[in-house]
Amino acid sequence: MPKKTYSDSLERHWLLKNIPTPPFGKISDRRIVSYDDYVKNKGYESLRKAISMTPADVINEVKTSMLRGRGGAGFPTGLKWTFLPPVKDAEGNDVKDDEYAGREAPVTERYLAINADESEPGTFKDRLLMDFDPHLVLEGIAICCYACKLSKAYIFIRGEYHHQANVLENALKEAYAKGIFGPKGLVNSDSNTGGPRFQVDCYVHRGAGAYICGEETGLLEALEGKRGWPRIKPPFPALKGLFGKPTIINNVETLAHLPDIITHGSSFFMEQGVESAIGGPPSYGTKLMGVSGHVERPGVFECELGIPLRELVEKHCGGIRGGKRFKGAIAGGVSMGILGTDQYDAEMDFDIGRKYNVLGLGTACPTVFDEDTDMVAVARNISRFFKHESCGQCTPCREGSGWLYQLLTRIESGDARTKDLDMALEVATSMGSMPGTTICGLADGNNWAVRTIMNKFPDEFEARVRPTYVPVKMSVGAGAR
Amino acid sequence: MAWITKQSATEQIERREEPYLTDEMKRAINEDYRPRYETTMACLLPALHLVQHAYGWIPRQAMLEIAEILDVKPADVFDTATFYEEYWLHPKGKVVVSVCRSIACEFCGQREITQACKEKLGIDVGETTEDDKFTLIELECLGSCGTAPAALVGETLHENLTPARMLEILDEVSKEIDAGKHEHH
Ligand SMILES: Cc1cc2nc3c(=O)[nH]c(=O)nc-3n(C[C@H](O)[C@H](O)[C@H](O)COP(=O)(O)O)c2cc1C
Ligand code: SF4
Ligand code: FES
Repeated sequence: MPKKTYSDSLERHWLLKNIPTPPFGKISDRRIVSYDDYVKNKGYESLRKAISMTPADVINEVKTSMLRGRGGAGFPTGLKWTFLPPVKDAEGNDVKDDEYAGREAPVTERYLAINADESEPGTFKDRLLMDFDPHLVLEGIAICCYACKLSKAYIFIRGEYHHQANVLENALKEAYAKGIFGPKGLVNSDSNTGGPRFQVDCYVHRGAGAYICGEETGLLEALEGKRGWPRIKPPFPALKGLFGKPTIINNVETLAHLPDIITHGSSFFMEQGVESAIGGPPSYGTKLMGVSGHVERPGVFECELGIPLRELVEKHCGGIRGGKRFKGAIAGGVSMGILGTDQYDAEMDFDIGRKYNVLGLGTACPTVFDEDTDMVAVARNISRFFKHESCGQCTPCREGSGWLYQLLTRIESGDARTKDLDMALEVATSMGSMPGTTICGLADGNNWAVRTIMNKFPDEFEARVRPTYVPVKMSVGAGAR
Repeated sequence: MAWITKQSATEQIERREEPYLTDEMKRAINEDYRPRYETTMACLLPALHLVQHAYGWIPRQAMLEIAEILDVKPADVFDTATFYEEYWLHPKGKVVVSVCRSIACEFCGQREITQACKEKLGIDVGETTEDDKFTLIELECLGSCGTAPAALVGETLHENLTPARMLEILDEVSKEIDAGKHEHH
């Protein structure tokens, strides 16, 4: 039964089943899980189960589980999948599920883009899965491709993840050799029919150092070899995505949840996590939470959604570093804004945005600050990030991010006036896709980060500025009347 | 990052006789990458990575060669190459030291790391040492926030850095460079 409020009932790790992590394992025991090790621990059984079901049943199971995207926006994954148009054959007729299984190569190209760009400051959770358990990700990919009838999957991984890209490449080689992907893939040659089934190919595509390629349509542009400029939506990628074809974009962690949902059924997933306390959609399942900043033992932990930040910090991370007091925490990646000193008990679930005046749960990777932290410097650091990473398409974002950085630098240095605070807030408030002035959500992140820090720690900002000097109107010299 | 102004059409491109794209690179582009994508343009990022990896930067002539083999406009190659930070448009030191300056790192001691590098190498952020060994830059989050401060030295990630450890790493890498590792063509 789904829980109304959070209580710690986790008896084992799911996403991290093969990656030893406290409290169920020792970090020093971590090793890259090879194909053989993965299979020994029941790996790829879930994929076998999935392909014995119809694609529609797989989608329904995921839909029932209410799995929500782990990449930041929390969009229901099963629902996203149903936006895909039906598969057509060469004559343009819809291909039904039962005909589909026996078919050779897909009739129309449809794609999966796996978002492994993870560049949001403070976020380092997908990396753990790719570091050690690449086959869990690949199995999730295979299940998604089967359910949504996608022909090719591109893992878009950020350029700086050299090691992780290598681990994935090696795992892919194994998966191709062992009949998961490619013309001789498992999905393809069913043991019953022996005939070729639907073929899925999977490739690693390395990014080249641009945060904006994490935005789903920026990612598609980068995959197409162009600059990573986000597209105006609609059309949505499910209808017109990569190369103009139907495309699903999912985060690494989202896909890694699929094997357990298929193996154990959606009800298992719904026993973890919490119902919404404010009548919104629920937050089921576990979530990787990467805690950084001023805590004793930072790291990635797998917790049920709904865990209070205080419990996450005190129980898993050994508390605030050096016995200091909590001052604030970035909610989950800098785009989400900050949780104030009185919000230490905030529950880490998808309601957090509406309940605690932040943008949302984001990546659920909080960066924690102790009492000695200068919040003006935090705001300046974040605004520099957004200034640096704005892709430059929309004026409010391109110019606004530069203005904010300059204003905050000035405030930090003590040279600013009171009116600069108002101007910073005005600039921040006006930019973003929610005020409707920009194409993508990067500007919303900038908006929320700066605004929430200024609003939740007003004293620190006011203490740094001098009163605005109001010039007295003078009528002397050439301009005198 | 996006706003690098293009030189006018009269820009002189430095040329050398030997092409930058080796036979092996051409094979990789044609046989490994092209079948993966619907358009040849989509091979651009992988192709630029090949050149960047081999030479440490992307000369204009290499962009022209890539445009030719992929049958796309040179301007498109230039457009993409200038957008992404990982592609260097001019030569750099043999090893790039990239210190993370984002949120977790800055508040867990990144400034001292950058300072240690600056003093040790005798250069500022964005500069290259006179012996062409090191280029020092600051980057945004490297995905190692739980083990901050972090820095990439070449393609190797170093975590939980202290100024002393950073100096050790620089010494080790410097010796590796002397021994002929990290050579570009
Ligand atoms: C500026 C910006 C950056 C983003 N960066 C990432 C990222 O690095 N990784 C990611 O998975 N999602 C990122 N997202 C969210 C994606 O746009 C998209 O919502 C997500 O990949 C969908 O996958 P999911 O439904 O599985 O979460 C970003 C969004 C924006 C607006
Ligand atoms: S909001 Fe900013 S990052 Fe997003 S498309 Fe516009 S300019 Fe680019
Ligand atoms: S903030 Fe430095 S690695 Fe993330």
